[in-house]
Amino acid sequence: MSSNEPTTTSLADAKQLHKTSVSDEVVIKFDDVTKTYNLYKNDRGRFLGIFNYNRKGSFLGSVDASKDLSFEIKKGEAVAFLGHNGAGKSTALKMVTGVTHPTSGTVEVKGRVSALLELTAGFDMQLTGRENIALRGQIMGLTRAQIKELEPAIIDFAELGLYIDQPMRTYSSGMKARLGFAFAVAIDPEILVVDEALSVGDRAFQRKCIDRIREIMMDENVTVLFVTHASSVAQEFCSRGIVLDKGTKVFDGPIDEATAYYEANY
Amino acid sequence: MFSTLATILKDNWEWRKQIGRLAVFELMKKSRGAVLSWAWFLIKPGMYIFCFWFALDMGLRVGSSEASGSAPFILWLCAGIIPWFFMQDMLGAGIDVMHRYPYLVNKIKFPLSGISTIFTLATMIIQLMLMAVLFIIYFACGQPFDLYLLQVPILLIMMFVFWDLVSILFSQLSAISKDVANLMQALSTPLFWLSGVIFNVKSVPIPWIQDVLYFNPITFFVTAFRDAFYNKTWFWDNPMACIGFAVVFVITLIATVWVYKKFNEEVADVL
Repeated sequence: MSSNEPTTTSLADAKQLHKTSVSDEVVIKFDDVTKTYNLYKNDRGRFLGIFNYNRKGSFLGSVDASKDLSFEIKKGEAVAFLGHNGAGKSTALKMVTGVTHPTSGTVEVKGRVSALLELTAGFDMQLTGRENIALRGQIMGLTRAQIKELEPAIIDFAELGLYIDQPMRTYSSGMKARLGFAFAVAIDPEILVVDEALSVGDRAFQRKCIDRIREIMMDENVTVLFVTHASSVAQEFCSRGIVLDKGTKVFDGPIDEATAYYEANY
Repeated sequence: MFSTLATILKDNWEWRKQIGRLAVFELMKKSRGAVLSWAWFLIKPGMYIFCFWFALDMGLRVGSSEASGSAPFILWLCAGIIPWFFMQDMLGAGIDVMHRYPYLVNKIKFPLSGISTIFTLATMIIQLMLMAVLFIIYFACGQPFDLYLLQVPILLIMMFVFWDLVSILFSQLSAISKDVANLMQALSTPLFWLSGVIFNVKSVPIPWIQDVLYFNPITFFVTAFRDAFYNKTWFWDNPMACIGFAVVFVITLIATVWVYKKFNEEVADVL
C-alpha cells in the first residue's frame, strides 16, 4: 500500500489506496435502533400530542426513519451508506453524531466525531470566520493553544484571504461551505462523517477536498462513514457498503457487492 | 427523576469550559459593531434607573416619604431594580434559548441544559458589572461596609441557580411550542408590576395580598437585595418571603427535571 505517497494521485489510482488495515475495536455500534418521527398537522397539535391529548385530525401519523437497524463498525473502516432519497441514511448519521436520539434501541459511539453534514450550517453569522473557528474548536473541547495551532491551516485551506476577519453574514455560500469543510477536516477527527459534501466550490477546490479526505482515510485510526447516491464515489473511497431502504438494512458487505446490489435493485 | 437531575448537573460540570467561553462569545456578539460596545451594558440600565427615579421621586414623590431613614431613595431604587434587570433578561430571551442557538441543538452535540447555562452566565456577567456600579452608589451614599452585604454573593448564586432552572424548563417547552415563549413574555409585565420592584411589599395594606406576592420569586429577590443594601436585615428574618420562594423553587425544580426527562431527546427533532 502506497499510503505515504503525496496525495497527487489521479482518481483512477484511488482504488489501490483502499484502506486494508482495520482493527478489531468496535467504535460504532447500532443495536436494534428505531427512530420514529411523529407528524402533526401543526405545532399546536404536536404540543397537545405531548400530553397525550390527540384531537382528531391533528395527528397525521408516524414515520420510521430508521427501523430495527443493527450494525457494528470497527476502527479504521471506511463504510458507504447507499440508498435512495428517504432511505434513512442521514438519520442514521445524525444519530452517530449525537444530535438526534433513537426512539428505541441503543447507539454507542467512541471517539471524536467530525461531521461534514450541511457544511454551511452551524456557524454563528454575527461572528467573523476566525472567531467561528475558535468557537467551534472550543465546543469540540480543544484548548486555546490547539486552536491557535490549527488556525493557519484552516484559513489557508478555505482560501478566504482577508475575509477571514469579516462577519460570516457577509460570506457567499461557497465561502461558508469552504470554511466548514476546512474546519471539519482540520481537527484530526477519529470518526469522519461525510454526507455528499464533496460538491463544494469550484473544480480545483473539489479536487483539494477529495485529496484531503483520502489523506484522512489513509490514517488507519480514522473511521469514515460516507453517504452517497453515486456508486462510483463510494467504490473509490470505501471498503464496505451498507444499503438502506425505508430505514432498514437490506445489504451489508464488501463495497463491490454492495454497489452491485444497489445498482441492481434501485 | 434523580438520575435526570444528576445528568443535568453532570453535563453542566463536564462542559463547564465550553459553557464559560460561549458565554463570553455571547457578550462579544452583543457588544459587536457598536462604537461604545461594552458601555451599552451600563447605559441602557442607567436610562431605565433615571426614568424610574424621575417618575417616582420627582413626579409621584414616593421617594421622599420612603427615604425616612438615612440612605437616599436612589439607593433603595437601585437595590431593587438592578436585580430586576437580570430577571428581565431571563424572562425575555432566557426562556427561549434554543431558538437563539439552533446550531448547538441540531448541528453539534451539546447538552441542552448547558445552553441555558450559557445564557444565564452571560446575563450574570452583565449583572456583576451592574452590581459593581451598585456598590459604587452604595459607598457614594456614605453607607458603611457591614456584615449584611455578605448576603449579596449568596443571593447572586441563588438567583443564578433558580433562573437557570427556569430557563431550562421553559426553553424546552418554547422549542416545542411558540405559545410558551409568547405566554412567558406576556407574563413578564404582570410579574414586574406584581412584585416589589417599584413599591415596598411590606406597605401593602392587606396582609394576605402581601403573602401572595411573596410567591412571586421576583419579589423574593428584590426584597432580599433591599434588605441587604437598604433595610439592613437578613433575608431569612422574613419567613413568609422564604417560604414563598422555597415553594416556588421546589415546584420549578421538579417541573424542570420532569420536562427535561420527557422532552430532552425530542427537542432536536422539532426545532
